Amino acid sequence: MSGASMQQGASAATLAATPARRRRRFAEVRGSLIAAGGMLVLLALWEGSVRFLHTPSYILPTPGSVVHALWSGLAVSPASPVGYYRPLWGTFHNAALGFVLGSLLGLVLGSLMAESRVIEKLLMPYAFALQCLPKIAIAPLVVIWFGFGDGSKIAIAAMLTFFSLLINSFTGLRATEPERIDLMRSLSASRFEIYRIVKLPNAASFIFAGLDMAVVYALLGTIVAEFLGAQNGMGVVITQAQSVNDVAGVFAALVILGALGIALHALMHRLERRVVHWADRGTN
Amino acid sequence: MTSPEADVLDRAKPPPAPALIALSGVAKTFTARNGSAVRALDGVDLEIRPGEFVSIVGPSGCGKSTLLRMVAGLDPCEEGTLVLDGRAVAGPSGDVGVVFQAANLLPWLNVRENVRLPLRVGGRRAAEPARIDALLGMAGLGEFGAKYPYQLSGGMQQRVGICRALARDPRILLMDEPFGALDALTRERMNAELQRIWQTSGKTVLLITHSISEAIFLADRVVVMSARPGRVLRELAVPIPRPRSFDTIVSHPAYAALACEVRGLLSAEGGIE
Repeated sequence: MSGASMQQGASAATLAATPARRRRRFAEVRGSLIAAGGMLVLLALWEGSVRFLHTPSYILPTPGSVVHALWSGLAVSPASPVGYYRPLWGTFHNAALGFVLGSLLGLVLGSLMAESRVIEKLLMPYAFALQCLPKIAIAPLVVIWFGFGDGSKIAIAAMLTFFSLLINSFTGLRATEPERIDLMRSLSASRFEIYRIVKLPNAASFIFAGLDMAVVYALLGTIVAEFLGAQNGMGVVITQAQSVNDVAGVFAALVILGALGIALHALMHRLERRVVHWADRGTN
Repeated sequence: MTSPEADVLDRAKPPPAPALIALSGVAKTFTARNGSAVRALDGVDLEIRPGEFVSIVGPSGCGKSTLLRMVAGLDPCEEGTLVLDGRAVAGPSGDVGVVFQAANLLPWLNVRENVRLPLRVGGRRAAEPARIDALLGMAGLGEFGAKYPYQLSGGMQQRVGICRALARDPRILLMDEPFGALDALTRERMNAELQRIWQTSGKTVLLITHSISEAIFLADRVVVMSARPGRVLRELAVPIPRPRSFDTIVSHPAYAALACEVRGLLSAEGGIE
C-alpha cells in the first residue's frame, strides 16, 4: 500500500520537475557556449600574439603547434610505446594505487586518533609538524628508500593522500553533534555502533573534502616522483620534451594531465553527491 | 484513626501503585570551565506513578534538562537516590525512551530507518517491520517511511522522533522540550497528538517544557521548579477530564487558576526565559 503511494508520489514529482529541469538544462547549455566562446577568443589572441610578436617557439608555442603535438600523442595505438597512452596509464595507475592506500591508512589512523585520547596525544604532534612541512620535499628521500620504480611513485602519492585524509577524518569525526551521541548512548549503543552509525556518516562531508583534495595531491606526488627518475609516466614525457626544448610537447602533456585531474575531480564530486545525499538540505 | 467509613472507601479504590520513577534528595554540582562549582540541582524529591503524565516547568537554567538526563541514565546521579522501577539508575535503560529537542534525527537515515534505529543497536538484532509500520501508522506517518528527514516539516520530524522513542516499547517516555522549535499552531496540534498517543499507549511520560499552556494541557500533574539550584517548588494536580482540547480547555475554570498559579510561581523565580 505504502509502496504504491510512494510510486505515485515519485511520478508526480517527476512531472512537476520537468519544465524546471528543461529550463535548467537550457541555462547549462548556454553557460557552456559562453565558456567555449571565451576560450576560442583566448586561443585566437594567443596564436595572433605569438605570430605577431615573433615569440620563439621554445618560449611559447602557438596553440596550433600544441594541438599538433597533442594529436601526434593521441593518434597512436594505445599499445604503442610512443604517444600518451602508456605513460598516462602508468601515472594514473600509480596515483590511483597511492590514493587508495593513503586514503585507507589516513581514515583508519584519523579514526583511531578521534576515538582515543591516548593515540591522539601520541600522534598529534607529529601529524601537526608534518602538516606544516611542505611534504613534497620528502620526495627525494622516498626515492632513496623505494627506488626509481613504481614503489616510490605510489609511496609519495599515498603519503600526500594520507595527510589530507588523516586531518579531515579526524576533524570530521570529532565534529559529531553531542546530541546525536546522546541519542546513541540513550540506546545503550556500543562504541563501534556509535562510530559506524553516527560518527562516520557525520564525518562524510569532511572525508569527501579530503578525498577531493587528495585526488589532485596523488597526481602531483606521482608526477614529482617521475621527475626525480622513472622509466614510464607523464612526468617522463614532460622531462623528455623539456630536454629537447619541445615546449609544445610540454604544453600538450600539461593539457592531458589537466584533463585527467578534472575528470578525477568530477568523479569524486559525483560520488560525494551520491553518498552524502543529505548534506546542505537543512536538516532538523 | 481511620473510621470504618474511610476503610470501606479505601478498599473500594485500588491501592496506589508504587512509584515507577522516584527521586529523593537528588542533587547535581557541575564544575564550570573556570574551576568554580555550579550547583544545578539541590535536593529534588519527586515520585511519578505508572501511566502518569507529569510536566516539569521552571526558569531557564534551573537544571530541568539535567534532571531528565539523569533519569535517562545519560548523566550520573551522584547525590541522592534515583530509582527506576525499584532499581537505582546506573545507566541508560531499555525501559526508557528519550524524545530530544528538535527531533535529533539522523539525516542519512530515512524515516523508517530512524524509527528502527533503537531495534538494531545496543545488542538488539530484531527485525520487526510490523512494529515499525504500526508506529508510523499511529503517528500518521504511514506514507512517509521512505522519506528523509530533510523532506519533512519540523512537526513531522518530531513525530518521527516520538516513534523512535517508542520503538522499544519502553514504559517511560522522557521528553526534553520536544516542541520548542515549532510554531504555536503546529505545537498545539502536536500536543493533541501526543495526548492521543499517550492515552492509547499507556506510557509514563515526563515532559520538560517552557510553555505553561503545554504543561497544563498534557499533564496529570505539573511540577514547578525553582531557579538554580533547582528544587521542586510545587506540584499541582490538573483536574481537567480527558481527552482535552485546546478549544475547550481555556474556558475550564481550573485551567485559568492553574495557569495563573504557575505563572505567579515562575515570575517570583525570575521569569520563564
